[in-house]
Formats: sequence, C-alpha cells, structure tokens
Amino acid sequence: MKTKTVIALILFGGLGGLLAAGPTVTEHFKQRASNEATSEWRRGEGAQARVEWPRDNPPRPLPARPVTFPPYEIRKLANGMQVVLVSQNEQPVVSVRMIIRAGAAHDPKGKHGLAMLTATLLDQGAGKRSAEQIAETIDFIGGVLGTGAGSDLTSVNAIVMKDSYDIALDLVADVVQRPTFAPEEVERQRAQALSALKVAADDPESVADRVIERLIYGFHPYGMPGSGTAESLTALTRADFVDFHRKYFVPNNALIAIVGDIGADEAMAGLEKHFGGWTAGEVPALAVTEPPDATRRVIVIDKKDAVQTEIRVGHIAIPRKHNDYEAIDQAVKILGGEGANRLQQVLRSQKQLTYGASADLDTFKWAGAVIAETDTQTSNTAEALRVVVDEFTRLQRERVSDGELEGAQDYMVGHFPLTIEVPDAIATQVLNQLFYDLPVDDLPRYRERILKVTPDEIQRVARWFIRPAQLSVVLVGDADKFVDDLKGVGFATFERIPIANVDLLSPDLTRRPGAPRP
Amino acid sequence: MKKFSMLLLLLTVAVAALVIVPLQAAVRPPKLQYQRLVLPNGMVVILHQDKSTPIVHVELWYHVGSKNEKPGRTGFAHFFEHMMFKGSRNVEPEQHTSIIASVGGQANAYTNEDTTVFWQTIPAQYLPLVLWMEADRMASLRIDEKTFVAEREVVKEERRMRIENPPFGLLNELITSHAFDVHPYKHPVIGSMADLNAATINDVRDFYQTYYVPENATLMVVGDFDTDTVTNLVNQYFGRVPKASKPVPRDIPVEPQHTKEKRVTLEQPWPLPAVVVTYHVPYNGHPDSYPMFVMSKTLSDGQTSRIYRKLVYETGLALTAFGSSSFLEQPGIFSAVALVNPGKSPDEVEKALIAEFDKLKTAGITERELQRAKNQFARDYVVSRLSIKEKASQLGHAEVIQKDMASADGEFDTFLKVSLDDVKRVAQKYFVPEGRMVMRIMPRGGVEQ
Repeated sequence: MKTKTVIALILFGGLGGLLAAGPTVTEHFKQRASNEATSEWRRGEGAQARVEWPRDNPPRPLPARPVTFPPYEIRKLANGMQVVLVSQNEQPVVSVRMIIRAGAAHDPKGKHGLAMLTATLLDQGAGKRSAEQIAETIDFIGGVLGTGAGSDLTSVNAIVMKDSYDIALDLVADVVQRPTFAPEEVERQRAQALSALKVAADDPESVADRVIERLIYGFHPYGMPGSGTAESLTALTRADFVDFHRKYFVPNNALIAIVGDIGADEAMAGLEKHFGGWTAGEVPALAVTEPPDATRRVIVIDKKDAVQTEIRVGHIAIPRKHNDYEAIDQAVKILGGEGANRLQQVLRSQKQLTYGASADLDTFKWAGAVIAETDTQTSNTAEALRVVVDEFTRLQRERVSDGELEGAQDYMVGHFPLTIEVPDAIATQVLNQLFYDLPVDDLPRYRERILKVTPDEIQRVARWFIRPAQLSVVLVGDADKFVDDLKGVGFATFERIPIANVDLLSPDLTRRPGAPRP
Repeated sequence: MKKFSMLLLLLTVAVAALVIVPLQAAVRPPKLQYQRLVLPNGMVVILHQDKSTPIVHVELWYHVGSKNEKPGRTGFAHFFEHMMFKGSRNVEPEQHTSIIASVGGQANAYTNEDTTVFWQTIPAQYLPLVLWMEADRMASLRIDEKTFVAEREVVKEERRMRIENPPFGLLNELITSHAFDVHPYKHPVIGSMADLNAATINDVRDFYQTYYVPENATLMVVGDFDTDTVTNLVNQYFGRVPKASKPVPRDIPVEPQHTKEKRVTLEQPWPLPAVVVTYHVPYNGHPDSYPMFVMSKTLSDGQTSRIYRKLVYETGLALTAFGSSSFLEQPGIFSAVALVNPGKSPDEVEKALIAEFDKLKTAGITERELQRAKNQFARDYVVSRLSIKEKASQLGHAEVIQKDMASADGEFDTFLKVSLDDVKRVAQKYFVPEGRMVMRIMPRGGVEQ
C-alpha cells in the first residue's frame, strides 16, 4: 500500500513558486548555443559525464491532439438551487460538492468566527443523526465528508463509491438543510476552535497572513479574523448559529456539483429526492463598504525564538469580476506566479535568500489584494524585503518584454489540458464561473482570453493598480536581530508588536493590557 | 459522562441496522494495466496508457533516499535532488523547470526515506523533450563548486521553513531520532545543518556515480502516448546511458530488536504539550503490514476512529490526536501523537493512547470496524488512481518499494482477505511494551493553564 503520509521534501514549495520564468524552448537552446563559446564543457571538472555524451538539440514535439473543454451540464431545481453535472466513469467514485454563498464576510459585527464555527458544526449532528451517527455512516461506507468556510462561501463536500451516492446525498442534504447545533457539540467545537486559535497565534506564517489581510482590507469584512478571536468565539450562542443558518442556507443561495461515475438522470433524480423539498427564502443583501485606500504601513511582529522572518508585502487590488482581471492576473503571475515568477528568480535562483517566493492575486466577491510572500533567515530580512518591494516598482515602471509575457502565456495556454484532467477540476472551473457570476462560455475560450493581453495592456494596468509607495508590509520574526537594518533599505518607520500582543480588532493592532489572549 | 457514551453507543448500533450498507467493498476498481520493460543497461520502464486527456506524466524514480546516506552526511539525498536541476550537457542550469513551463507543463521532485523522484506532467506532444532531458541529466549532470555552495543555502532555508520555524515543525524529527537506535530512518530526510555544512563537492560526485545510474532507476510513463513511439524514444535516449561500473550498495544498518521501553521527555518552545507513543512495525508489503494497515485505519481514519473518538471527541484531552503506521521499504514505526489541550494532563493522555493499543491486543477490532477499514481502503485505492500522476506514483511504488508489480493491483484483494484474527495476532506481535517509546514534549517555560 502506498500511503499519503510519506515525509517527502519537495523541490519547490507551493504552485506559486513552482516555476521560474524563462524563455520558450527554442530560445532556451539559442541561449545555450551562444554560451558555449565562453563556458567550455570540461569533463571531469565542471561536468561529470560518464561517457562522451552527445551535444544535442532538443527533439521536436509530436503532432498535437486538439484540446476542448470537456462536456458538463448546468441545471436548476425549481427552488433555485444551481446544479453542475460532470459525468466521467474512469473510476467508480462520485463526489458531491456544495457551495452556500455565505462565508466569513457575512459574520455580523463582533461575531467573528460565526461562519467558520457554523460550518464546523454542520456535520456535528443533523436531521435524525447525531454527530457520531453521521461520522459512523460516512466512515463505514468508506466515504469522506467535509465542511468549511472561506471568505465568501461555505462548502460541504462528500466523496463516496458510486453505489453510495444516495447515502452521500442523504447526508449532505441533512447537513446543509437540518443541522442540529446541539449544545454539547457547540461547546465541544468551541473548545477545539479556541485551542486551534492558540496554536495559530504562535505560528509565524498564520500570524503574517492574518495581519497583512487586516492591513490591506482594514475593517472591511475581508480584513476581519474569520477564525474568530478568543472573545468572539466565547460569546457566540446557539441562537447565532441557528440565525446564520436560517438566513443564508436556502436553495436559491446554493450551488451543487455532482461529479464522477454517474449519469445525469440518476444524478438529478437523487437531487430532486433530497433537495427538491427544500424551500427557497429571501437572502438578506450584505451591505459592504469599500475597503480603505492603500496606505504604506509597516508592522514588525516580534517572535523571539524565530529562525526565519515571514515576509508579506501587498496592497488592495480588484474583485474577481472586473474588466481588467485577465491583464492584472497576468501581471501578478509575472511578478510571482505559476509559469513566470520574478520573485522566485531573484530571491531564490540569484540570491539564495529563500526556499520559495511568490505573489498571489486574491480576488473575492467584493474586493481583492495582491500579496507577495517569502521567508528568509533572520539576518537577511531587510535585503529580502527590499528585493520584494523593488520588484513591485519594476513591474509598475518598466514595460514587460514581449518574450517574458509570451513565456507566461505559453505556460498558461499549454497548461490548459492539465487543468481538465480529473472531473473534480472541471467542476471547480464551472462552479467558479457561476459563483462569481462570470460567463461559462469563457471556459472554452481560454486561449483567446489569455493571448489577447499584450505588453501594453500589462503596462496600462500595472500603472494604475501597482502602487509601490503604498505597500503594506508585515515582518514576523526575531525583531531585535533585523530592525536596525530596515532603515538602510528605506523602511525607517515601523510599528513593533510582540507576537503575544497582536490584536487584529484594535486600530493599532495591539492588545490592551489585561485583554484576553490571543 | 459514562452514561451518555453508553447511550450514544446504543444509538450508533441502532442506526447501523437501519442504513443499508455494502457488506463488501462491492465496487472493484478497474485493473491498473501496465507494460514493463528492462533496458540492457538495467533501467526498468513501466508504461501505462490513458488517453482520456492529451497529457502525459513522466516520473523517474532513483532508488536512493535518506536511508542510503553515510553517517555525517544526513540530508544528502535530498540535497542531491536539488543539484539535479543545476544543468547537464545539453540543458543550462535552472532551465529544466522553465523549459517544462514554457510548454505548459509542471515539473518538480521529492525525496523521502527510500527514493528520490523526479516528475513532469506535460501536454502529450512534448513527451520526446522530457525523456531527452531526463536522460541528459542522468548521464551528464554538471557539478560545480559554485552552484553547489549556493544551492546549499536554499536547502538550509528549506530546513528553516519546514522544520525549525513553524510550531511543532520539529516533531517528526524528534520522534524518529529517539525511536530508532541505528537504522538511518532515525535521521530526518532534510538532514541537519551541521551535516549540510560538512558536505563537499566530492560527496556530490560520488553520490551521482553511485546512485544515479540506470540500474538504480525506474521510469514511469503514464498518459496519452503511442507504445511504439515511447519505446523507441526510451531506447534512443536512455539506451545510450552506460551501465554503472559498480553495483549499487545496499548495506543499510539493521535496527536491533528492542528489549526495553524507552521514555523520553523534552522541551520545545511550543504552545501546547505533545505526547507521542511509538511501536516498531514491519516493512511495507510484509504479510503483517496489511493487518497493521487495518489498525492504522481503525485507530486514526475519520471521526469514528478510536484515537479521535477517545482523545478528542469524548474526553477533550487533546486538541488533535492521530496515529499512523509508516509503510516504508524497511521496518518502520507506528506513531500516535496527541497535542494536549490546555488544562489536561499529559499523564492522562499517555495512558489513553497506550490503552488504545492494548485494546487491540486483548479485544482486537469488531467485524464492523474491519469492514469499515476495508471500505476506506477501497476508497483510498480508487481516489489515488484518478490522475496520471497518481497512477505513476502507484506503479513506481509497486516496482521500487514492493518489488512486485503485481501488487499494484493484487494488493486490493490481499487487503480484502485480512481477518479479525490477523489483526489481533499482529497487534499482539508488535504492540509490545519492550518495543514502545513514550515521548513527552513540554512547552519551554511551562504549561499555560
């Protein structure tokens, strides 16, 4: 048996840092040919050739097969629930993926962690089953059932062998429509969430992520702690969960995908049976204010025993549905994404300052951010920070070369067939379009969408959306050992907070004396 | 509390009778078809065709991992993995990955205790390119002092990032270093800072000549290809890599039989105490490893698993608790770990963990637990064969670790034959006090209540 728990070390962390930027195949080898004169091939010294290994050109590709977006269906139940069907029978397995359009952004004021804890409690008792009975049912059939909340949504997923489709739907329907929120389960999960919060409060990576979001989004819902605070979690009552569920968990606010070894008719019959009787309701509109304008702010979080500094640099960007999404996405990929990644090139390949560096464009329903991240040993903190900030500046000021953009686009276009291999990945793409209210017709048009972005377009968007002078910066590490270097790299002003005193809800991010931890 | 549990238990039994459940893992996944070839230079080639999407996955396994490292050179196998991206006769340093990216593919590599694996997934038409590049670095890697010294800094950052900086990052390393006396599974795959610093360019050359040879390599090609074409390409590019000049060394120190329980108490700057209990277990593919796998499932897979139920759900002793057996090429350990919740005592947690192992010896598991483990196994089996990458990984594992290609598929049936008696017998054989280690890792500066 091969288990998934092998302790393996992977060459490049995360997908963001996976690929270094580079020219196209032909260009690579042109470059090699021109290097030949200067860097001579010497056996036994620089090289370890075991034989007279031939000087060779790369082989030509084979004829390509056409790639099309695989078939899927979109349907709707009478009560408004949107349905995505992807049928593929390679393995005898079916997955059920449900999305409710409410997440941490819907936490009422002061009730941080409500969406998260509601999601956790969904499968801890629902319908006629107790928490234990739900677990027993899904575990016994060798299935998996999971629930969770993100910023904009709550998800419930189940994976079962195909002969257990009905059991899976029965469970998911109970969990989504009829959660019990039994008092003893509420207390149990609350205690767990509080312990988890304690561990996260001491984890430099987690703290860095929370604080940069708070800096960028301010007191906008996306800046608030979705896992709650000790105070907010303690204050939540059963009525809060019931209320949150009643407001948002209605079929006209839900999407479901049925994916795998099952035909459309059988899939729909099951959905009618288990979800047809679910009554539609009116979903309250969320009043969301604009996130604050980008402002420069540097926060140093002091963790004495850290051997590395977690670095986050970013500012506000765009929501997912935006006319410039494609160009901005490609600009950020050039900065630090898959198929390109200048940050990785400079920080890892050229300077060996880190194992991995990347930049992401996080785009949600109402807002988004560009955030670069890396980690480096304490003594290199200032240098690494400078490099990251300089790359933002470079992207804003210098026109991206045709070759570099072409390289990034070659990756995206060529990569497409890899994104439609497994049925769950196909469903994810369709669900995304539906969730963000984007045209599904865009899915098969991936090539045109990518290639229509030009270096001029990149320059145009980079000029307005990249703002190097208004970057938020978070450094989590052993502050005494690097703060003196910050002035030398242009960051003379910063706020310093001991890790134990971080309070995301306070304007200066610092816990008042005597206030509860974390 | 006790009454309450009894009630729940009764309810569970009642519901079990109501729900219609498959009595056997009824759905037999399709057989994993493959072809196996051996080149004259000793390299093994496994082909599996899957034309559902026009992509192909190429994976090259070198049968060398951290267990092959010499004393004082821990972390070397993984470090060498990084060196494989530093250029070869026809490929410039750092270009391997970007060439793959330029055609839309992905490439990466990983190292574990037993193997070092290089993989790439690409649009199908670029299969010749990938085979050509893999053969190039097998035969003609560039090794120079400057890149060696520079890359060492990257590996050190990797160690800091994965192991030294996150809370509990050192956990695994602390467990293995105390659970084993001499076997190199004792050492972390990433190695120690001191050993990384001590490594020399000659170590790199020697390692390359010793382990990166065709007879120590297995090539998996999975996906959309034409068999004749791929066979010709493999012969053309890998066929010309010469045979190794000496046999690959296989002299791994053997762990002696343990005769006495080991107890270890340590301190770390972690937010909560951790309690660990380990036992020694057989190698992957040993007849006893299948019942062991059942116990791994029963103890730790899902919310009904015994460790979760007892330590997290029922008693709230632990924030999280899990146990799993290692399934490695050579005998490894079963380790159970619990992070002690604030206000709970490590003594209680230790007692509760050991009690779960003892229960397996005295009472075994129930018919229903056995069936559940088998159903979970069937699910794992199916969901780990969905993508071409996963399929390649299964094939590589069967060939290199199990040394039996038939196990890639036949293991499904072996597993379904495990009986209640097998489970009890294996529990009694391995979960013995003299083979046990109990470790406590306390927060430095005391426990906050």
